[in-house]
Amino acid sequence: MTPHSDSGKLEQVVSQFLLKSLHIILDSRIPSILPCERTCDSRVRKSDKWFNLVLGDRPAALDNLNFWHRNLMDPMIIDIILVQQRTPVSSVNNVLSGSSGRTATETVIERWFVQFESPPRVTASQPGEGCAASYKKTYKKSIIFLRSLYLQTRLLPAYRIFRQLSSSSQSLNFDIIYKVSSFSEPFSRAEEEMMKEYRFVPIEAFPGRLHVSVTYRPQLSDFNLQSLTTMLPKIISDYVGSPATDPLRYFPSSYKGDRAISFPSEVMHAPTSVPSQRPHSWTSGFHKPVVNRHLAGSPPVHCTSQMSYDSPSPPLERIQNHRRPLHQRALLYDECQLSPPFSLSVSPSTPTYLRNSDSPRQTRASCETAPVTIPSSMTSRNARYISPNFSDPSKLSLPPLSPRSTRLDHSSNESLSGMRLIKKSEASRAGDLGSVGQKVLKDSRDDSGRFSGPLSSSDSPRVGFSRSSSKLSFQDDIDDCDFSCPFDADDVDSPDSRISQNFDGKRNLESTSIGRKSQDAAVGVLVHMLRTAPPLHQDSSCFSCRSLRAEVDNDGIATTASGFFVPRRTSDALEELRSYREMKDLLLSKSGTQVLTREPS
Amino acid sequence: MNCEVCQLKELEVEHFEIREVLRCILHTIVFHRALGLVRPKVIDLELFDITYVQCGDGELEKKIDEKIEQFISWVEKHPNKKSQVCISFYEVKNKHPSWFTNKTERLYWEQWYINLNVSQQQKVHSGKSHPSKIVVDPGDSLEERSARRAALETSLREVLFQIIKFVNEKKDHVPPISDGVVYFPYEVTIPSSSDSAFGMDMIKRMLQTGGHPTMLS
Repeated sequence: MTPHSDSGKLEQVVSQFLLKSLHIILDSRIPSILPCERTCDSRVRKSDKWFNLVLGDRPAALDNLNFWHRNLMDPMIIDIILVQQRTPVSSVNNVLSGSSGRTATETVIERWFVQFESPPRVTASQPGEGCAASYKKTYKKSIIFLRSLYLQTRLLPAYRIFRQLSSSSQSLNFDIIYKVSSFSEPFSRAEEEMMKEYRFVPIEAFPGRLHVSVTYRPQLSDFNLQSLTTMLPKIISDYVGSPATDPLRYFPSSYKGDRAISFPSEVMHAPTSVPSQRPHSWTSGFHKPVVNRHLAGSPPVHCTSQMSYDSPSPPLERIQNHRRPLHQRALLYDECQLSPPFSLSVSPSTPTYLRNSDSPRQTRASCETAPVTIPSSMTSRNARYISPNFSDPSKLSLPPLSPRSTRLDHSSNESLSGMRLIKKSEASRAGDLGSVGQKVLKDSRDDSGRFSGPLSSSDSPRVGFSRSSSKLSFQDDIDDCDFSCPFDADDVDSPDSRISQNFDGKRNLESTSIGRKSQDAAVGVLVHMLRTAPPLHQDSSCFSCRSLRAEVDNDGIATTASGFFVPRRTSDALEELRSYREMKDLLLSKSGTQVLTREPS
Repeated sequence: MNCEVCQLKELEVEHFEIREVLRCILHTIVFHRALGLVRPKVIDLELFDITYVQCGDGELEKKIDEKIEQFISWVEKHPNKKSQVCISFYEVKNKHPSWFTNKTERLYWEQWYINLNVSQQQKVHSGKSHPSKIVVDPGDSLEERSARRAALETSLREVLFQIIKFVNEKKDHVPPISDGVVYFPYEVTIPSSSDSAFGMDMIKRMLQTGGHPTMLS
């Protein structure tokens, strides 16, 4: 077992660990995450086999994680947010008319922090005894840990609220939404005082460790969580509603499929205590779920994914259709990976793992979950997402929909701000220090100091995080399906900007220009691009180094957002590859690091 | 391989609470030690506002319930005693048979002691009472009972956190798990009916820990 294949496996274990943790947490917090037909399903999916914990279908929301959490070194921060609807005691008409008399407050009641930390420099030359098959130990310890996480989520106070939401047939004046990101605003002092922290013992994952902690509100009784019994239902015989007042409502008979339903910003008008700037994250839910739910009797508006289980919710249909290919592709990625589990037997031989003998399509069919519906603000903001500068604070951020590759891709560049249009050189591997044409996205530095910039993985060990590629020995058993999975048009730049070097200020201009594009047009272009993107080979890993980060334009919005929407050609890719190789060589010559070069397959 | 021992916080339980409390704790421990493929099953306690997780295995549930019933019978015969339920995990080692030793030997690598102080207010209950039947002891005021119940709930929650902490702190001693095997071999030991001094049990367990063949079933 070579160190590199070990590190690739560790990489995969860590990645799956993140997914599993997220799955466990969301399953126990977000009622809308749960697919309808899961309860009696005795199938064991591939995702279930990871860590020997059967959880059922992965929520489609987890696909997002693959999209944006590209850098395993970035923390995964999951905020569980209690949304409380406060309706003034006024006439029901007020509510029906969609007046802004309603307010919703959001409170973060739990914050989960999951991070893989690794020492800065672990060279390939020092595998050491501890490294040999250490991923097996990590895997075993992760199994135990995830068991305890599963229990812990059921013991914390927020679970009660989840149960209340799940089981209540009445309309409630509250809801739970979530936000996943690699960055979060720190709590205010007042909030901190009301919260407790629990830190799990770090899990050894040589050469690093997995840290998991949760900050939570121990008392939730001061939230007035109740059913909406104060509002007397008023029967309006001819009420139909309209998209203007109820944009997410399903209109069964009157909906014209091609009606352009926009998701105006008024949907998100409710003032919140949680910053709407979520550059590297996605979130669920809306801010005015409860009233709609109560009044219309329609499928709960807030449960975006839940709506998808009903007959296609027309306002979201367009989004869902667009979403589906991504979802499926992400699934392909996920399922085509080295299957769990690694054998935990004592045998030092290569652990057995299931070969992915299923065709990708079959896999997809078996594992597909209802697509997550993208909150309106997110879809309309694709174009704007690039900027972590919070130039548009009223809107939520959207993680990039099309990563370059849905493989575990450690390019640190892809970690944060969603629009990581990372190009990975074929030749770059774990050891490369930030080489290869990273579209370094300037990461917003959060005040909490939990900054994990795109280059945070620059320190990632050469051993640890080599980009999984078909060249790694242990992946020989994996079908090449993953090469066709990724929608490769993620990190698209116009060729000019790409070659003109990532570190100049051009990006700023381009990103600005993107900002001016219409939101719908941006979505359309994105979808078109995704559909027409030619498959590209998996690039090897590339890591940025901190020094490289320092060179990065600090103003920058990274990635040429315009590039995001431009379909790539093979020649572009090859050209890019050449430029990255040059850059890589240059950087490596400076750093004096030995690099393994691999030829693209 | 050393044997890790975890002494759980003592719980003051009433007779009718034993079943739920023991089920909760035993299943939680086993769930953390069932490292094969498991479909977790979430169970809400009836007496407490606590949810715990089982392995979702009917066989396991049955075995644990049997042991709990045995324990309850013992408690009825030995009232007002502090008692322990011990769940041990072991590896089976094959030894060449000799005339005084068994063929196989159990090497205990982990032991959990559930410490219970069954309180006095027990009435005569049949040990074979239906598992789901909850009998409320009369005699205490409502406030006292609910205060005690609340305290027990808090303590039970602490015990569960204690389990979580222990399983996360100590992982190195856990043996590798074989493919296809869900559970490590385990045994649940209750105080023996033949003696009323659980000190004797302690000695026996210490002997077991040392690798001697177990004397208890």
